[in-house]
Amino acid sequence: MSESKTPVIVAQGVTKTYEDNGVPVEAVKGIDLTIMPGEFTAIVGPSGSGKTTFLNIISGLDTVTGGRVSLDGKPLSEMTGRELSDFRRDSIGFIFQAYNLIPVLSVEENVEYVMLLQGIAKSVRRDRVKEILARVGLADYAHRLPTKLSGGQQQRVAVARAMVAQPSLVLADEPTANLDSKTGGELLDMMRDLNRTTGMTFVFSTHDEMIMERATRLITLRDGKVASDEARA
Amino acid sequence: MGVMIFVKLAWRNILRNKRRTLIAGTAIGIGLAAMIYMDAIMIGMENNMVATATSTFLGDGQIGREGFRKTFEAELTINNVDEVVKDLAKEPLVDKFTKRVLGLGMISSPANVSGVSVIGIDPATEPDLSKVDEAMIMGSYFEGDDSRQILIGRKLAELLEVELGDRIVVTVAEAHTGDLSQEMFRVSGIYYFNVAEMDQRMAFVRLDKAQAMMGLTGQAHQIALKLHDNSIARVPGHDLWMRYSVNGNEAVGWTTLLPQLDKIFNLSKFGILILGVLLFAIVSLGIINTLFMSLYERMFEFGVIRALGTTPFAMGRLVIFEAGVLGLISQIMGCLLAAVTLAILSYVGIDYGGIEFAGVTIVDRLYPEWQVHQFVIYPAAVLLFTMVIALYPAIYAAKLTPARAMRKSF
Repeated sequence: MSESKTPVIVAQGVTKTYEDNGVPVEAVKGIDLTIMPGEFTAIVGPSGSGKTTFLNIISGLDTVTGGRVSLDGKPLSEMTGRELSDFRRDSIGFIFQAYNLIPVLSVEENVEYVMLLQGIAKSVRRDRVKEILARVGLADYAHRLPTKLSGGQQQRVAVARAMVAQPSLVLADEPTANLDSKTGGELLDMMRDLNRTTGMTFVFSTHDEMIMERATRLITLRDGKVASDEARA
Repeated sequence: MGVMIFVKLAWRNILRNKRRTLIAGTAIGIGLAAMIYMDAIMIGMENNMVATATSTFLGDGQIGREGFRKTFEAELTINNVDEVVKDLAKEPLVDKFTKRVLGLGMISSPANVSGVSVIGIDPATEPDLSKVDEAMIMGSYFEGDDSRQILIGRKLAELLEVELGDRIVVTVAEAHTGDLSQEMFRVSGIYYFNVAEMDQRMAFVRLDKAQAMMGLTGQAHQIALKLHDNSIARVPGHDLWMRYSVNGNEAVGWTTLLPQLDKIFNLSKFGILILGVLLFAIVSLGIINTLFMSLYERMFEFGVIRALGTTPFAMGRLVIFEAGVLGLISQIMGCLLAAVTLAILSYVGIDYGGIEFAGVTIVDRLYPEWQVHQFVIYPAAVLLFTMVIALYPAIYAAKLTPARAMRKSF
C-alpha cells in the first residue's frame, strides 16, 4: 500500500438500490472502502455481488442511493454533470472487457482522444501517443483501425488510452476476459509494470485468477457487502 | 476542446453504415430535388404564362383613359394621345408600342350573328406587340391598303359559317353620338390562338377604319407597351406608370390588367410552400429515424465516449454534426438529381401546349427554369433543417448517463 496520505478512493456507507420492473433491488448494501495511491487492487466476487455497481459508483458513472464517495479527496455528490465528465476525463482511465475502442478512429486517434478533450497541445499529444504506443508494443500499428487488430492488441490500445492522460486511477473491467491466457498474462504484466513505474492506481473487477495472483490487494464482495479485504505481497 | 475530432467522428460514423446513409441520403435528396424541380417548373410556367399573356395581345403594360378598362365606354379615349405617343417614342424604358381602338359591336353573316369586340389595330406596329400575325391559320395578316379587310377567329368563323373572302357586316356605335355605324368587310384572315375569348369574341380591323366607324379619328383607347425590362410590369408603383398616369390617363402593368394571373402565381407559391413543408416533414421523420437507429446501434459506444469524459454538450454536438454530414451528402445527391432532371427537361421541355390556366393558354412547351437560388437556398435550408431536426436525438444523446448507455457496463 502506498505511503501517500490522500486516498484515491474513499467510500463511506455506500448503498445503491435499483428499480427493476418496479421492484427495488439493493445491489450495494453499505460498503466502506479506502483505496490508496499506487494500489493494484482486484475486486472479486460472484455475479450479482455488486462489483459492477460499485465500480460504476466510484467512477462517477452512476450515483449512490446512500453514503458518500470521494475521489482524490473530492466528493462526487457535490459535482455537476459537467464537473463529473471533466473529472473522469482528467482523473480516471477506463479499460473495458470488450475493449470498446472507437471503431472509426485509428489506434493513434483512439489514444489521443482523451487528450483532445483535455485540450492538450498537438505536439505534446503526439509525443505522448508515440511514447505510450511504444510502451504497449504497438508503435507500428498507430494508423490501423481497431478492427484490423487482434483482441490482445485492441486491449493494449485500451490500456494505452486509459493511461496516456496520466490519470490518478485506472478502472479495469474484466480486462482479460476476452483474451487467451498468454496474451492476458502479458497484458497484466505490462499493467503491473506501469503501476510500479508510474505509481498509477489500478482497480480491477474480475474473476480471473491471473489478476488475483498479481493484485496487491484483494477485496471480495458478496451480496453487496465487503466479505473480505486482504492485502497481499 | 478540439471540434475537428467531432467532425471527423461524425463523418466517419455516418459513412460507417454506407447502405443506410445512402438510403437516408437518397430520401432526403429526393425531397430536395423535388423542391428544386417544383420551383423550376413554377418559374418556367410563370414565365411561359406571362410571355403568353403579354406577347399574345396584352403587352407588358397599357396606357388608357381612366375608367375605360372597367366600363369599355367608347368615348373614354386617351387624353392628348399625340403627346403621349411622342413621349413614348423617346421613352428609354419602352421598347415598342402600338395604338388600338376598341368597341363593342355586332358581327353578322348571312348565317348568324354574334357580339364581338371590334379592335382597330395598326397593321405596321401591332406585330411588335401581339401575335395576331403569327396566329393566322387561313388567309393572311393585313396586306395592301384594302380597308375592308377583317381578321376573325376560327370559332367565330365557324359560328358565322364564313370562310376566307366571305362578306360580313360589322355594326358599332359611334363614340360621341351613339349612332350605329355599319360597314361591310371581307374575311381576309382567320386566326387561331387557342384562347376562347380571342377566337370567338374578337375581330380585328385596320386602326383608321375602326376610328372612322366610331368617330374617333386620330384617337385611341389603348396603347399597348412592350418594355425592355418586363419586370417593371410587376411593380405597380414604378415611375414609368406614374409618369404616364396623368391628364386623366392611366398606365398600368400586366399584373394590374390581369390581376387573377398574379394572384394565381402567388397562390401557386403558397402551394409550393405547403408542399415543401409537407415534404420536409416527411424527410424529417426519415432523418430522426436514421439518427436514432444509428444512436441505438451505438448506445454502448456512446456510453464509453461519455465515460472517457466527453461532456453532454459535446455528445449532442456529435449527433448534430452527424446530421450535418448526412445533410451534406443529401445536398449533393439532391442537387445532382435535380440538375440531371432539369438538364433533360429544360432541353426537351414539357408539352402543356393548349392548356388554359387562369384565363391564359399555355402556347409553347414548358421549360423548367434553373436559377441560382434553387441550388443555394434549398440545399442550405435542407442542411439547416436536418441539423435543427437533429436537435431531438442530440438532446437525447446529451442526456444519456454513461451507466444507462452502457447498460451492462462493468
